[in-house]
Amino acid sequence: MIRTKYIKIKDLNFIEKIYIIEVLKGFVITFKHFFSNLFKMFTNKKIITIRYPEEKIPVLGVAKLKSNHRIKLRHDGTPKCVACMLCSTICPAKCIYIEAEEVESIIEKAPKIFNIDLSKCVMCGLCVEACPEDAISMDKGIFEGGSYNRFLNKSLGGLFYTKKELFLNLENEKISELGASNSLIFRREKYE
Amino acid sequence: MNEYIKELILKNLGELKNYFLLNYQVIIEFIIKMFILYFGIFSFAALLTILERKISALIQDRVGPEKANIWKFRLWGLFHPIADGIKIIMKEDFIPKNANKFMFSLAPIITVFSSLIVFAFIPFGNYIQILDHKIKLILIETDIAIFLIIALSSLAIYGVFMGGVFSANSWGILGSMRAIAQLISYEVITLISLLPIILIYTPSTLHDLVEKQSDMFFGIIPNWGIILQPFAFIFFFTAALCENKRIPFDVVEGESEIIGYFTEYSSMRFGAFMFAEYIEIIFFSMLITIFFLGGWNVPFLKDYGFKIFNFVLEIDSKIVYLLELISFIIKVFLVSFIIIFTRWTLPRFRFDQILRLSWEYILPLSIANIIFTAILIRII
Repeated sequence: MIRTKYIKIKDLNFIEKIYIIEVLKGFVITFKHFFSNLFKMFTNKKIITIRYPEEKIPVLGVAKLKSNHRIKLRHDGTPKCVACMLCSTICPAKCIYIEAEEVESIIEKAPKIFNIDLSKCVMCGLCVEACPEDAISMDKGIFEGGSYNRFLNKSLGGLFYTKKELFLNLENEKISELGASNSLIFRREKYE
Repeated sequence: MNEYIKELILKNLGELKNYFLLNYQVIIEFIIKMFILYFGIFSFAALLTILERKISALIQDRVGPEKANIWKFRLWGLFHPIADGIKIIMKEDFIPKNANKFMFSLAPIITVFSSLIVFAFIPFGNYIQILDHKIKLILIETDIAIFLIIALSSLAIYGVFMGGVFSANSWGILGSMRAIAQLISYEVITLISLLPIILIYTPSTLHDLVEKQSDMFFGIIPNWGIILQPFAFIFFFTAALCENKRIPFDVVEGESEIIGYFTEYSSMRFGAFMFAEYIEIIFFSMLITIFFLGGWNVPFLKDYGFKIFNFVLEIDSKIVYLLELISFIIKVFLVSFIIIFTRWTLPRFRFDQILRLSWEYILPLSIANIIFTAILIRII
């Protein structure tokens, strides 16, 4: 059922029709803002604006989970990634390139090459959702994505992540014990 | 026939030479005054561009431009006009394929010319005394200055019209159509709203007009135009804003609607239009200062010093002239400040509202104002 609501627009009274007094009221508002901000500017108090590249504020909660990628490490320093290719499959921008390799441990498989091309990445976070090992995550805390050369490595000022820049744990991070192959390791350690 | 013309020219050249030899001091004085005046106007206009951005920022609780620097020396963003100028010159100068190239490039020239030429007739201070020379701070003093100024400033319509129509762009044509309707309807008001002032003071020149505003009523209230003619001030201020094509009367440009008559312009040609707009702000604030705010008059300041009732503080006339010049500059600055403030306070009028405001309200009211003033003068 469609309901119709009639809105009655108030007629302007005489003072509002003259317009000049209303204009002066508007001027009072802008003058107030202007002079209070001018006073703040010369007494070095803070205007709300954050002057971004020079001053940064800590990123709040969930927003931090959409920063640049990293791959978590285990206790022994090996990457949690098992090169299952799920992230590169689900990636809508096709920016993840993985080559697998055999390693001598219980997990048997690890990435030989793991590249993320940030110039293609759309920051959707689907790779994080898809990962069965809780390996890839987007909580590095780096947001800046500007560069003069997209083919250079990220460490050289480019936009290209390789293993070297990707595989790391954050400082003071509690090492995650999630993931299928990880639990395999823990179970085995328990038995031994 | 040819020889006759040659003779005539030679004779006239001789007279010109004689005139120069006799009046070389006047001519040199004129040239120096001209350079100083136009240098001042250019730098003031450049200052207004940064001021506009900074004021708008502070009104909207932002910081505003402050990043331009020379050796990390920022000065609250005062170097931004220089950066803007360099940027706008570096841009590609583009002329559309179907545009009339001659008219297209003539339009910004006319706009800048018409906005600059008017300053020749406006006094920009009382006198200034350097050693024994007492220099009158006006380039050309005529008794028709008031009408000449209005006529010359209305030349700007041609620039707007040519820029829009000959750039082969629909938005441009639409913009110049609106501009012409708007400018013509407010052109009338600019002059008519000034007539009561002329009726009251009956000045011979603009310089004379300002001097006639130097009296005081009851020794307290200054005899300025704004006090005798507050309505004329409101009408003229509105018309000035509208002539300037600024918000709240900026349907011509309408940043979010049509870009207006300079849609196709780029580089310094566009810069010329923008610069002319800021020069026009200075022009109108100078006119408002002279007609309504008593020009360079400072309350209680006479030729010999301050006189407040019976208390007299004598000052050297050189310093009095300097004070008057400073007061004039401050007044012009304040008026242009308010014009900029208006832009960031009021929303845009609709196009029909602008025209109705002009023809149905302000024009009859200003004519009534003239008649009322005339009757009042007759009675008193």
